[in-house]
Parts: sequence; structure tokens; C-alpha cells
Amino acid sequence: MTTVSLTDVASYLPGEPVPAEFYTDYPGAEDKLRNHPMFKVPPSRHHVAADESNADMVERAVQPLIERHGRDEIRGVDVLLVHSQLPDLPFVGAGTEVARRLGLNPEWLVDVANAGCASFVYMLKLARQILTTTDAKTALICNAQSAAGQCFTQSEVRRLAQAAIPGDGCGVGYVTTSADTPVLDVETRHIGEYAGDMTVAVDDGRKYWEPGESQLRIGFTDASVAKVLARGNRLVPEVVTDLCRRLGVATADIDVLITNQPNRTFLRNWREALQLPPERHLNTFDQYGNLFGAAIPITLDRAIRSRQVEDGDLVVLGGFAHAGDFAGATAVRWHGGRG
Amino acid sequence: MNEESSTLADIPGLMRIENPGKEELTAHCMELTHAVYPHHQVYGQYCTIHAYVDCPPERAYDYLRQGHHLEEWTCSLRDFAPAGPPGLWVGHDRLEDDTRIYCEVVANPEAMTVDYHCSWDQGEKLWMIYLMRVVPARLVLDKPGSVITWTNCRHPYYDDNPHPGAAPRPDRPWVGDYWDLFYAGHTVEMNNLKAILEHRHRNGLPVNVAPPTAVAR
Repeated sequence: MTTVSLTDVASYLPGEPVPAEFYTDYPGAEDKLRNHPMFKVPPSRHHVAADESNADMVERAVQPLIERHGRDEIRGVDVLLVHSQLPDLPFVGAGTEVARRLGLNPEWLVDVANAGCASFVYMLKLARQILTTTDAKTALICNAQSAAGQCFTQSEVRRLAQAAIPGDGCGVGYVTTSADTPVLDVETRHIGEYAGDMTVAVDDGRKYWEPGESQLRIGFTDASVAKVLARGNRLVPEVVTDLCRRLGVATADIDVLITNQPNRTFLRNWREALQLPPERHLNTFDQYGNLFGAAIPITLDRAIRSRQVEDGDLVVLGGFAHAGDFAGATAVRWHGGRG
Repeated sequence: MNEESSTLADIPGLMRIENPGKEELTAHCMELTHAVYPHHQVYGQYCTIHAYVDCPPERAYDYLRQGHHLEEWTCSLRDFAPAGPPGLWVGHDRLEDDTRIYCEVVANPEAMTVDYHCSWDQGEKLWMIYLMRVVPARLVLDKPGSVITWTNCRHPYYDDNPHPGAAPRPDRPWVGDYWDLFYAGHTVEMNNLKAILEHRHRNGLPVNVAPPTAVAR
């Protein structure tokens, strides 16, 4: 079987860091939970600019890949997969616009709308499948997250405790048929049972595209928050453990674990369950907030840049989506050279 | 109520719905919820286990309250005989050679609780206490049968034998050395209990058996 590698990753964070006070000092801000670990506001996050689209962010995130691998090589990708956490448009994904901007002509182009915060793992699986079963040689997988500076900065939503948690950003991966940083295995599961448990709420009951005054936000009752906590606690350690079992390694042997970054509690619980010390489970929550689907590639890119990932490391990427309707993990042996 | 509230206000550290309120209470509980818990945190000071048993609660209780059945379902308690004082029995704990175990059964039919007050080596102070309770499964699981719970608390004597002189020999290991295996050992015994009760109930056999030795009063 052809070996497929996650050859490189790159990322982009829009604008200057936005301090916690943007939310905490906002008139009428909910402050009951501000000091609570579960809802503790990350000190900073980034917001997209008012006119910044998913395609804009992907274009910017890909630039370092072009610099490192050459424009022609990136232009030649056979596969383009794009996950936009908050689509800019209905009807049409960001994929073809990304292709136009970067001058790509991929044979395979998919706008992935499932697998949310763990969609980088799922796209890696899709890319690997296409690269091992067709003539395709290279793929670009992209995660754009732009909900923080748009949904969560609305006048009413900005007061809510949930608003201060997300952050915007974009992470991309370059996948090739090579053996430099081999993808050792991928474990994914779609869990239909939990589909639809995460909702977007509008108080007047209109459809999100209908005109009205109410502001779109994420809907959570206490009961569903508790359910999501229980599922997340279980799902991520489960998929990572199953992946490690197949690879014949103990979870404690993971050199670097990178998960989605929903909040401090999940990060603590996953680390404990997988028996890893804090320094091996990377945390970008405090710097960038919850980056949703972009968290995994951005965190990986930061880790490589700051040399937290070293040559030969077993790197595991894992996470879960929405209210638990998807969970996935993948392992790579990192030999990414950045000169 | 007012008087009670003012009293409560003087007690630090209370978390009640009135204050901090629902959201903070929920958040606090979420923070306390981990994915895994270390063994010592769960079983370090107390060891509570539980099992569903497909046998009517009255029969399960009646089986447990008769101390000689310990010889069937425990791993190592054997050869019980009256120790002298009414209600006190003495047998062998074959976990260690030549080790005597004293036992008194304290049962409450209304609550269906059965407590075994035991001790190794001496019957003066029974400090190893096994607290068991039979709960009708119909009430808690909406199905026939029993839920049996079993708790041990880490009495200081587990860590420090108060009567080393009563041991059959100086190098005989102490029961407290096994504390970290209680979850496992008690689970094995609970499985025995479940298997015996379910087998006899399922096959229409008497659940109880006669004491192996005739008791001379």
C-alpha cells in the first residue's frame, strides 16, 4: 500500500490578539461564570476582520506552504478538501473559491461539512484514501474557523459566557504520497445517535436565513452540556486508545498529543485518561480560545515552529465534533523537515 | 426557615441552589467530573462495590443474614464455629495460614442491611466491618431481582495492627496489607454471591443451605 504523509502544516491567525476584556468589560456581560475553570475566559483570541472570508483565511494560511514547497507544487495538488466552520454562503462551499485564489486545478474537491472540531482528522483520512487508491499524489486539507469574530461578537451574544470562548483562525495540511511523515493509521467514527444535539438557537424561532432581530448563537441546555461533557470525556480517550491499540503502543508512549481545544476541563480530562503529562498534550486554548476545527492544524503548526514536536516523535491528533456525532484520531511519525 | 437560613449563612463552603445559583453549581459539578479517576482516589479510604443479582431481594437478604453462608461465597472464610459469647463466631481466614477470624452478623430486616463485624486474631474488638445492603431492583432499576451494595471503610487498624502479639507468628502478613486489593477481592466474592443466588433461584432450588456443622447451643 502507498505510504501517505502529512508532509507539512501551516496556519494563519487573523488580526491582533483580542483581550478577554473585549467580553468581560462589555456592558451587561454575564459574569457569574467568569472565574469558573469550565468557562474561564481565555486571555486572548483572534477575530476575523469584518470583510474576511473563509477563502481569504485559507489563502493566507497556505502562503507558508507555497514558500516552503514552491508555488507549482502547491498549485499541482490533486485533492482539495475544505472545512468551513461558519460557511460564508449557503449553496456553495469555499472550496472552489479557494481553488480560484490559489490557482489550483484539483481533480478531487470536497467541501466537508461534517466532523466539525475533528474534521482535520477526517479530511486526512479522506485524502489518504484518495491518494492510495487513485493516481492522485498530493492533497491540501484546510480548516477555516470564522465564527468567533462574527457570531459571538453580536451585540446580544457578546454578553453570554459562551461568547468569550471561541477564537478564529485557519490551519492547513499538505498531504503527499511519500514516506517523510507517514500517517500510521486513522480511527474515525460517525455517531448518528448524537446527531442534532448541538443546535444554533435564534430566540424568535425564525430560520437562520430569514430576516429578524434575534441573534444566532449556540444553544445548550444544562442537561445537554452535561451530556456533551460525558460524551467528550469518553469519546476522545476511546478513539485515541483504539488507535494506539492497533498501532501496538501504549497511550503513555504518545510523544505529542494534539486535540481540539474546547475548554480547559476537556483538555485536563483527556490528558488524565490517556496518562500523559501536561507538556505532552499541547494547549493553545489560552492563546487562541476554542478554534473549533482549526485547532488541530494550528496547534500542530505552532508546536512544530516552537520545536515542541521533534524528529521521530509519535504525534497523535484527535478530537470530537459538535455534541459527539463524530470522533476521530490519527497518528503520524513526524519527520517534517523545515530546514 | 429563617432561623435555619441564618444558621446556614454562618457555615462556610456550602453550595446550594440559592447561592451560587444554578449555572455556577452546574459549572462546578462539570469541573469535578473527570474522564478517569485514580484507583486510590476511588478506593483509597472507602471501598464500595455493587452488583445486580437476579434473585428476589427477600431471599438474597435471608441468605446474607446467615453467617455460615460466608463459607460458600467468600474466597477464604471457612470452618465457622461458635466462639463463646452469643452471636460471636470464629473461623479461619485461609488467606493466611493459621489465621482466625471472629465474626458477628448484625442484620436489619426492615432495611435489609447485613453487616459483618469481624476481626483477625481476637474477638474483643470487631473493627473490620463489611456493610451490605439489599435493595429491591424493582424500585431502583424497574426490574425483578436485587441490587446488593457492599462498603468497607479504612479503619486505622488496617494500617496498624493493634494486637501484633495475637498473630499466630511474627511474620504473618497483616490483613491491612491487602487493602489495595479489596476492590478486586470483594468483586470476586460479589461475583460468587451473584452466581450462587442466581443459579439456585433460576433452577428453583432452595437458596439457603444448612450450616455444615451442627451448632451445639
